[in-house]
Amino acid sequence: MNLGNVGNILMLVCLLASLIQSTQLLPKKIDIDYKIFSRLPFYSSLLAFILLIYIFVDSNFNYQLVVNNSHSEKPLIYKIAGAWGNHEGSLLLWILVLTIFNFIFSYSKIEHADFKKNVIAFQSLMIFGFTLFLLLTSNPFTPTETIVSEGLGLNPVLQDLLLAIHPPILYVGYVGYSLVLSFAIGGMITNKVDKEWAQWIHPWVLTAWIFLTLGIGLGSFWAYYELGWGGYWFWDPVENASLMPWLAGTALFHCVIILEKKNILQSWTILLSILTFSLSLIGTFLVRSGILNSVHTFASDPARGLFILIFLAIILIISFTLYAFKGPLLDNKSEMNLVSKESSILANNWLLLSTLFVVFLGTLYPLGTDLFLQKSTSVGPNYYILSLLPIIVLLLFFMIIGPNAKWQSDKISSIILSTNKLFILSLAIIFGFSIYFDELHLTQITLLTLCLTLILVSIKDGLRVNHNYTIIKPSLGKSLAHIGFGLLILSVVANATFAQEKIFQAKVSDILILDDQKFRFDSVEQNKGKNYNSIIATFHLMDNKTILETFKPEIRVYSNPPTVTSETSIIRKFLTDIYVVMNIPENSDFVNVRIHIKPLISFIWLSIILMVIGGMSAIVFRIKLKK
Amino acid sequence: MKNLKLKYFLPVVITIVFVIFFSQLLKKDVTKLSSQLIEKPVPTFNMPTLLNDNQSFSTIDVIASDIALVNIWSSWCIPCRSEHEILMLLSKIEGIDLYGINYKDKEDNALDFINKLGNPFKKIGVDNNGRSSMVWGVYGVPETFIIHKGTVIYKHIGPIHMNELEEIILPILGDIL
Repeated sequence: MNLGNVGNILMLVCLLASLIQSTQLLPKKIDIDYKIFSRLPFYSSLLAFILLIYIFVDSNFNYQLVVNNSHSEKPLIYKIAGAWGNHEGSLLLWILVLTIFNFIFSYSKIEHADFKKNVIAFQSLMIFGFTLFLLLTSNPFTPTETIVSEGLGLNPVLQDLLLAIHPPILYVGYVGYSLVLSFAIGGMITNKVDKEWAQWIHPWVLTAWIFLTLGIGLGSFWAYYELGWGGYWFWDPVENASLMPWLAGTALFHCVIILEKKNILQSWTILLSILTFSLSLIGTFLVRSGILNSVHTFASDPARGLFILIFLAIILIISFTLYAFKGPLLDNKSEMNLVSKESSILANNWLLLSTLFVVFLGTLYPLGTDLFLQKSTSVGPNYYILSLLPIIVLLLFFMIIGPNAKWQSDKISSIILSTNKLFILSLAIIFGFSIYFDELHLTQITLLTLCLTLILVSIKDGLRVNHNYTIIKPSLGKSLAHIGFGLLILSVVANATFAQEKIFQAKVSDILILDDQKFRFDSVEQNKGKNYNSIIATFHLMDNKTILETFKPEIRVYSNPPTVTSETSIIRKFLTDIYVVMNIPENSDFVNVRIHIKPLISFIWLSIILMVIGGMSAIVFRIKLKK
Repeated sequence: MKNLKLKYFLPVVITIVFVIFFSQLLKKDVTKLSSQLIEKPVPTFNMPTLLNDNQSFSTIDVIASDIALVNIWSSWCIPCRSEHEILMLLSKIEGIDLYGINYKDKEDNALDFINKLGNPFKKIGVDNNGRSSMVWGVYGVPETFIIHKGTVIYKHIGPIHMNELEEIILPILGDIL
């Protein structure tokens, strides 16, 4: 039997089993064993995925997907990654992740049987939808129509390890929120949205959040190092598509904490659960339908777009209609104090959603003007920076006071007392910094001071001595994540403020000064490489008479084919990345030298790592506490 | 049904509005997202050329043309082949200069490609490690930029299909010609 048919049969099994399982949502239930039908799709899609990898590794050019995306001379790792580096394969991976979540959840020890059944059933409905999508429009096991002996996929740009691993991680994040949606649906159907529900959903929300954070971080890291022009975030619509569920998911996670502690905000938490996964789906829709064209888009096909749209509409309309009827019944009547931990978390909720709104608007606005006004507009970084600035300031403010406020009610004076010293300390540091190095604007001082205060407050918060865990508290995770966020904004602001770039026309022995750093142009040498001649310039970064760093930007002249390339010399240090590029204009006796100084880039990556570790340690502590 | 509250219906109403909006977008399906370079001057670059050893292809060439179309292509890129006949068509329009940037390619293959399929370009720059094209923000091939009097006015990601030529490219060129 041929392998493609095996793949098709496996996906059919997945389709049918999830369909049978999803009938549990109907009022009249057929009695089935949920264990079989919730786990079967996992086994079958796992096998199908392994099979797909196998035909890629085997360079089996009987399959269209392999022909289009692989090549027999590709390194093994890229053959494997090729399996999901395309629309069809990634959809299969998406289904696999959906089933993994359902599979793991089926083992959970939740005793509310009716609730559990509904969650699994709704998750199965989504698996059914996506599998149907795969089989109808995007089958990875489609055979070729003609005999092909070699593949087409040898694009060197796409052969990059980070590019191969970041989508799967991002998917786990996106898809993780599908289970969160199923929780919301299950909770509404069985009228079980309370403290206990929040406890159950907590680790899932956190898991999805960790993967999404890591996925976005890796994507940004890739853009910085591979694209090489010094940017790490471009407000590209596809980047925005991943940022939106992150923002909603972050807000959701904080609501879950309030619900768990105070048993309030039920309907709001449900709304956010639905919203978060909706945004994952909308992101998928925008990317897959070809409405947005960007780096990340796969070959677009209107039929696929239509299918995702219909599917998205069905899922969202079911969820929100259920919410319209159930929502008003869920909330506990309870008063919330203006000054309390929950109110400041709620304030941050609104700020996160405002950020989300800004990003959403910026992403869809060009589409809207194009549709209604037949006019292309582009929304640039300026829009985002200007609109987000005040929101970020408030967000940081509430992140500083929130963790120090007490649940229920607190006095403003005591919150101020607990943070004012660190605030003054930070202000002094930033002021000192401003006077010593550079005059900073008020906005920069405000942002940097708040970030630093947040970092200090969170460090203090995380390391407070506790009897059970010596110096580590269960809130360590929270502290790490908050430190990470503070550091992220701090390094982004500092990078934007202190990044320098200048073009010089230089002769040998000139001293080029950029940002108080002296670069001495020492020599130009000719060199013979394997198949090229090169001109290598030597620049030294000087501190008085001592040489700190050596840069050797190079111009290569290849004889066959006759080509000139210029090789950037980059030195990455912990605090700054420095780029030196050289260019020799014809008929001139000087060279063009471009120097970039980019501070604190490594801190951006560090901050993301901190957030991820924070999330992970929160999960570890939770498991430990339960035991 | 006493407990029904209108505001709880808001999300479902918003969802329906967006679904309608998205479905309209799907119908259109010509929207291409603009690049960071749009409305900006042509980036500074300089590279050797494919056919003429002593020349270079640089910003100056692009600025010198009233209307320039810069196409990033490669012989290993399959969509570029299908796009090539469209470029051949475009090259016949008077008043437009087509320039190519040969991206991460081997010279023999690139020459072979041009010899077989024809040369629509006034000049072809060579960028065989992809570094010189970075200023253009190139993500992949093919990509096409339309430049009017030194300002980038449009970026097309992916191959230009016949319907896109008619619905997008020609109207833009029509406006500025």
